[in-house]
Amino acid sequence: MPKINCLSLTKVFRIGTRNFTAIKELSFEIAGGELVSVVGKTGCGKSTLINITLGLEKPTGGRLTIDGREPYGEFDHFRGKLSAVFQSDRLLPWRTVLQNATYALEILRVERDARLNKARHWLEKVGLAGFENAYPHELSGGMRQRVGIARAFSFDPEILLCDEAFGHLDQVTATRLRADFLQLIRETGKTSIFITHDIDEAIELGERVLVLGKPARLLMDMSLSPEWKKDYAARSNLKDRIVKTIESDEAEIGT
Amino acid sequence: MTFESPSKERTFKLELCVSLGLLLLAWQIASLFLPEYVLPGLQLIVGEFVKMAEERTLFWDTLLTLYRILQGLIGGFILGGVLGVLMGTMKKSENYVMPIVNFIMGIPALSWTLIVILWFKGTETRIFALMLAVSFPVFSHSILDAVKGISKELMEMTLAFRPTRSQVLRMLVLPSITPHILTAWKVSIGFAVRVVIVAELVGASTGVGFRMIQQQSLLNMSGVLAWTLVLVVSGLGMQSVISKMETRLLRWRPSAS
Repeated sequence: MPKINCLSLTKVFRIGTRNFTAIKELSFEIAGGELVSVVGKTGCGKSTLINITLGLEKPTGGRLTIDGREPYGEFDHFRGKLSAVFQSDRLLPWRTVLQNATYALEILRVERDARLNKARHWLEKVGLAGFENAYPHELSGGMRQRVGIARAFSFDPEILLCDEAFGHLDQVTATRLRADFLQLIRETGKTSIFITHDIDEAIELGERVLVLGKPARLLMDMSLSPEWKKDYAARSNLKDRIVKTIESDEAEIGT
Repeated sequence: MTFESPSKERTFKLELCVSLGLLLLAWQIASLFLPEYVLPGLQLIVGEFVKMAEERTLFWDTLLTLYRILQGLIGGFILGGVLGVLMGTMKKSENYVMPIVNFIMGIPALSWTLIVILWFKGTETRIFALMLAVSFPVFSHSILDAVKGISKELMEMTLAFRPTRSQVLRMLVLPSITPHILTAWKVSIGFAVRVVIVAELVGASTGVGFRMIQQQSLLNMSGVLAWTLVLVVSGLGMQSVISKMETRLLRWRPSAS
């Protein structure tokens, strides 16, 4: 049984008197432990997909289930199971680095000592040992994102969602952080969905790439083996294909 | 201001002393040319303070007035806070509650003074009702705005971890609105000092306001001024307590703010 099962998922928003379709009949399956990149144009409903997966929004039609349960309908069942790294760091400005890293653990009522140990462990893992008592505004963008990553891993979730997690950062910082992040995911073997508009990033991170149209529906589903990834010609070839697919989808819809 | 270096703070204090000193000097010189009931000399005002201290009114009436202010503001803060959080979290409740709050806010403090005298018996009850009525709309407005201003992004991030309602309130809502609560307190204190005096003038036989009108009926200008000074200093004192709390509670803020 797949870990995540998305079946003709549809989400329509009502803006004033007009309907806006963010996701249209989107279907895919993700197995446990898979690392999947989801790539699509900006504004193609990727963040809505994240919110539905987190159970923060209710689908208009279709179903998205994790282990057979709906995150929105059975909201509390997913306590301690889902985690996310967002585009902006989403740190609490009034909490220090350490306190931000313990935030999720506090919500999950992990006992104090265990909480601090876990948070310290993950801060060290992301290279922030020694910065425990700094406030977010005292850190650089890359460091703040690292705190967000430590928070996301802190309580050992089953599924990790990333929404444009490196989109805000300069290229050098993003490349390093991406590599470190991938390392952590490999170490922990978590089921991960990595949402991005950056095709290179999607190919770099994913063992599998889903390409979405606008409104979000599946245009391509490719598995990428590590051996294949070393072949640069094939990679740039795939990149071209993805770009063409998204472009032709656009032409079809007429936007 | 709080992040200034010690030497900078010292110059600031020096400037304060110079400006106050000049004011007092000008006052004293003017008092030599003007009658006592217009501008009494500083020695007369100081004498007045000595008398007030000896009669123990300086301590007890000041304390009583401060107590009335604080009691009323705490009541207003609780009522306004509950309404503000309610309106901020329950959809549409704002549409029902806010018109009433605004209507109450539109009633002048002086009208309230007269109304509470007719409605209630007992000085303390009257003053408490008055302070509550004038302060809670301010608190509910600012707390509603603060709750509405809570970052949607941080809320979503928090909800993804499945917190309980009380966890959301304690770990996200309260820290988010704290700066606004402190600002509301600062504004309200300045306002409350003025209102409480009117109330004591009209309907009390104790407190700073009552002492002021007593001195006025004796045509004792230095007495009126001495009690006025007590008020100004108490108001500033309370505000500086809030400022101290601000630097403590909001030390996470970037120093630029």
